[in-house]
Amino acid sequence: MEFLLENILNLIGFLVGLGIGIMSLIGFRNTGSPTLFRLTIAFFSISLGFFVIWSGYMAEDFVIQSGNIERWVQTLGIAIQTVGYFFIAFSHSIKAFFPKSSYFRSVGILPLFLVSSVQLEHLFRSVSFILLVYGAIETMLSYIDNKNKGAISVSIGLALLALGEFLGWYSFVFPESILYSISMVIKIGGLIALFIPVSKVPLTKIKFDEGLE
Amino acid sequence: MAEYRTHMKIIGDILSTTRDDLQDEDGATVTYLIRKANISHSRISRILKTLVSQGLLEQVETQGSNKYKISQTGREFLQAYYKFTSFADNFGLSI
Repeated sequence: MEFLLENILNLIGFLVGLGIGIMSLIGFRNTGSPTLFRLTIAFFSISLGFFVIWSGYMAEDFVIQSGNIERWVQTLGIAIQTVGYFFIAFSHSIKAFFPKSSYFRSVGILPLFLVSSVQLEHLFRSVSFILLVYGAIETMLSYIDNKNKGAISVSIGLALLALGEFLGWYSFVFPESILYSISMVIKIGGLIALFIPVSKVPLTKIKFDEGLE
Repeated sequence: MAEYRTHMKIIGDILSTTRDDLQDEDGATVTYLIRKANISHSRISRILKTLVSQGLLEQVETQGSNKYKISQTGREFLQAYYKFTSFADNFGLSI
């Protein structure tokens, strides 16, 4: 069951990331916008990260057959996804929920160091969680500003991915529980929520123009 | 609070003025664009030069003054700009 869910999650993640990445790339090629360039990097990274993990599971299932995915493959995939989440968060200018005092800022990043001694995978999951929460809050704040309904869906999608990431990380505490499966179902829901508004953007008659920079 | 406009938004404003809000058939003067796009003379001069060199605007010389009209490439760019603005809006971002 866990294996099946893992495969569905990684395939959906790969396809959603690729789809949004391609749209962002077309947008960047047509307008030259740096924001769309950052989104392109973000979603291609997320797509690649899911693909790496999916490949690891496929290799384990059909070639290695050891019963467990190679740990480093999973860590690599999560690390690549974290790069993607960083670029989503980075696309928002730092304008909210960041205290001005340098002391409070340093305290704010303390949780990263508290978990860094366990394993690299835990570290990447916790960083992803923070970046996703930040992205979700910023997107929700932008909805309050411009009332774009698509932003709610993207915000919920990012929040669900964050929750899934948190539960996935927390499942290390209870390895045999259903937590990991729940985290994967939540993340699948998050990816779908992320794609819904983007799929409604009409892309007809958009063509690449090599002359534009 | 005044809204911060990105460079891309200013270009979008200039192009949409030259497409939808022209003074006459010949095009828009720099003064008219400054007023409509709400931007300084030195900055708009640089942007107009770039837009003309990229083929997004056509520069027409009439009665000793330069006027600007949107080109076909400019119309296509503006169409793409609107579509991808709505795409980026979904992520709470401005292009």
